[in-house]
Amino acid sequence: MSDNPVGTRDGLAISAVELLARAAAAELRAYKGLMVAVEDFFLPEEARLDEHSRAGLAALLRGLVETVEGEIREHAVRLLTGRGESALIEPGVSVLARLWNSGLLRDGDLMAELVARVRQEMLGGALPMNAPDDPERPSLINRFVQHPDRVVAASAMAVLIAESRRRGSPEVGQFQTELPAELHHRLVWWTAAALRERFEGANEALDRALCDAAQRSLAAYDEGDRLEAAAMRFAAAIDAQPGELSGMLVEALGDRRIVLFIALLGHALGVPYALARDLVLDPGADRLWLALRALEIGREGVAQIGYALSEADPRRDLEKFADTLDTIAAISPVEARAALAPLKLDPDYRAALIALQRGGVK
Amino acid sequence: MNIIDPALPLSIARLDAEGRLIDAEARLFELNMRAGGNIGAPLAVPQIATLARLSQRLGIAISRNVIAADGEDDLELWVRAEPEQGGVRLEVSGWRLRPGWRAPASEPERDGDFFRSAADWLWETDASLRITFLSIEAGARYGFDSSAMLGQPLTRLFRLEQDEAGELPILTAVAAQGRFDGQKAELRGTGRMVRLAATPRTDPGGRFAGFVGAAHMLDQAVPAAPKVDTPLPQAAAPFGGFPDSFSQRLDRALRGPLGKIIANADSISAQTEGPLKPDYAEYASDIANAGRHLLGLVDDLVDLQAIERDDFETGDEAIDLADVARRAAGLLAVRAAQAEVRIDRPAMDELVPVHGEFRRALQVLVNLIGNAVRYSPPGAMVWIRLERDEGHGHVIVADQGKGIAQGDQEKIFEKFGRVDPTEPGGSGLGLYIARRLARAMGGDLVVDSAPGQGARFVFSLPIRQ
Repeated sequence: MSDNPVGTRDGLAISAVELLARAAAAELRAYKGLMVAVEDFFLPEEARLDEHSRAGLAALLRGLVETVEGEIREHAVRLLTGRGESALIEPGVSVLARLWNSGLLRDGDLMAELVARVRQEMLGGALPMNAPDDPERPSLINRFVQHPDRVVAASAMAVLIAESRRRGSPEVGQFQTELPAELHHRLVWWTAAALRERFEGANEALDRALCDAAQRSLAAYDEGDRLEAAAMRFAAAIDAQPGELSGMLVEALGDRRIVLFIALLGHALGVPYALARDLVLDPGADRLWLALRALEIGREGVAQIGYALSEADPRRDLEKFADTLDTIAAISPVEARAALAPLKLDPDYRAALIALQRGGVK
Repeated sequence: MNIIDPALPLSIARLDAEGRLIDAEARLFELNMRAGGNIGAPLAVPQIATLARLSQRLGIAISRNVIAADGEDDLELWVRAEPEQGGVRLEVSGWRLRPGWRAPASEPERDGDFFRSAADWLWETDASLRITFLSIEAGARYGFDSSAMLGQPLTRLFRLEQDEAGELPILTAVAAQGRFDGQKAELRGTGRMVRLAATPRTDPGGRFAGFVGAAHMLDQAVPAAPKVDTPLPQAAAPFGGFPDSFSQRLDRALRGPLGKIIANADSISAQTEGPLKPDYAEYASDIANAGRHLLGLVDDLVDLQAIERDDFETGDEAIDLADVARRAAGLLAVRAAQAEVRIDRPAMDELVPVHGEFRRALQVLVNLIGNAVRYSPPGAMVWIRLERDEGHGHVIVADQGKGIAQGDQEKIFEKFGRVDPTEPGGSGLGLYIARRLARAMGGDLVVDSAPGQGARFVFSLPIRQ
């Protein structure tokens, strides 16, 4: 009852042996705790995740792992029940906690993707809406749904469907991980392993059920269904010509469709989605200005894009952008394209170059 | 469609290349005057001046939602600045007084969250009322093709119905850029009715940019098709039609986070991590108190569901009502001391053997004594007396509070039946639950009181021979 002021906790009794053991471990734990605190303190402020991204990242990670876990567990249970061994998959240590503690989730590629996705969503969510001058005019993507060219119309529709699916539902949560196939692959096997670990000893039926369930999840997954992939297909289908690209980019931002904006940019530059996303999410944005100039976007287009992104992202400096706008506009498309040429090299080659630089001395 | 509401008049001004005011329409002119500006001088409302300068430097039209001080008040303005002939043209609309406090989340987001919690499914449109988002699983559940509806006019999905006044609430809302609720519609081709509600999205220039909406199914919710081998679900539990698992989930989902909120707020309030400005410490204590209130409400809801089940039973134990009353009084001793209220508890040698469940009887008495403490003025006394007659043992809890009027005496035992809804504390469930518990144990809970005389609650349980 609301007036009951006392908490009735379960009595927690520990044995003397346990207490001594815990005390002995305390010193080491305190030291480790201190080391983490020292690390934390000296992290450069601008490199730290802000609380908003941190919370978003945790929620996304939890959602992804739970989605995969649910899928595998459900199917494995069905398989085991069919074989008369139903009790094998029971709740135990949370898969998320297990993967978290194991360090597996510190995977660079996975985290790069997740951090980017969280930032992309935050940026998209914070973009100022821009209503059309003519209230009867549908938004950019909705106009293409009506397009007489069936390929264009279908790809526009696919973007809308993927976006509705990405946002999930209050009841179902996420429908799928929407990760690139390789990362989805990793997550599925990690999850299967974490589920397996709850049971000690040999158990062939369980191993087989988990493998089958994982393989089924992998077979059913199509990275082409991802919102990002659908948006890239749409960008390819409409293949915006130089004269119309600027207007479309600005309108996509005004409709708060950040994924569409990135896809239009990526397609026009001829670079993969992930790379275009890096350019757009970077608050410094120098590469983005070069990219826009390489695409011959004029001063006005650059100004509108820069203004919208600055309004959406407090890390960006609008005053500084206004100061440099004339300089940006003065860069010739030829220069800009030359400066961006390395972006178009094989991504693995670029990754290797960066890895080598990070490695240090020649 | 008229997108500029007459209630939100547009005021136009022009600035020269140096940011000096050339001319301004009345409303903007007056605002600028009150801020200390004039024609020929730089604009005196700093937020608007900043936007004008920015627009000029960037060379594009830009819009922002701006809060400007106007004397004692804050005005919420939509400002659009556009470079024009070397200078800047300003369009300012909105002109709404801003409420003193507003949650930091932007409104559509918050409304979206709110809808999300209650709606069967969600939808969004652009300014032309074409669908830009749909809960993708809704189609399969309610018999339409979600994916084919995306990008289509809203009216393709819904056949809108007029309300009693012969109007379409949604169109009224578009014209007024307001929210609407209660737009009835048929899901085209399915024969199923929905109620639509939505809030408008507005761009920073104040223009209508679409709806963020929710749909509530009006007919019976279709149960998910039961799988062949799963047993049919039991008839809905009486608690508001929520399934049993609801209160368990509620309990699990809320207790942990609330516990954390309370603990953290308490430690901020106690300044365990170091000194704080006193007002912050006070806020933290408010947070902790609000958290406790919510935690109590969660307890009540979980109890409520339990006691409203048809098969709810209490245990039959041999208990001593006097002992239970002394313990309940002991549990509330700290709170009573804080409120400067004394509790006159039964003497140690008193004994009233009755039938009942110890935990539940304690719960009833903690509620009664807790209420008595809460409604007692400082320096007052709460009496706990014991009586017995043929069939029953009674505990009487009497206070010196303001009492309860005759007409309200039944009301306080109703679900959410609070006499004065403005009074802080309490969920309006405590006495309802207490009476249900007393009756489930074969006893009762009654009140007699008159305004100004304090309240007297009598809790009875069957006597044990």
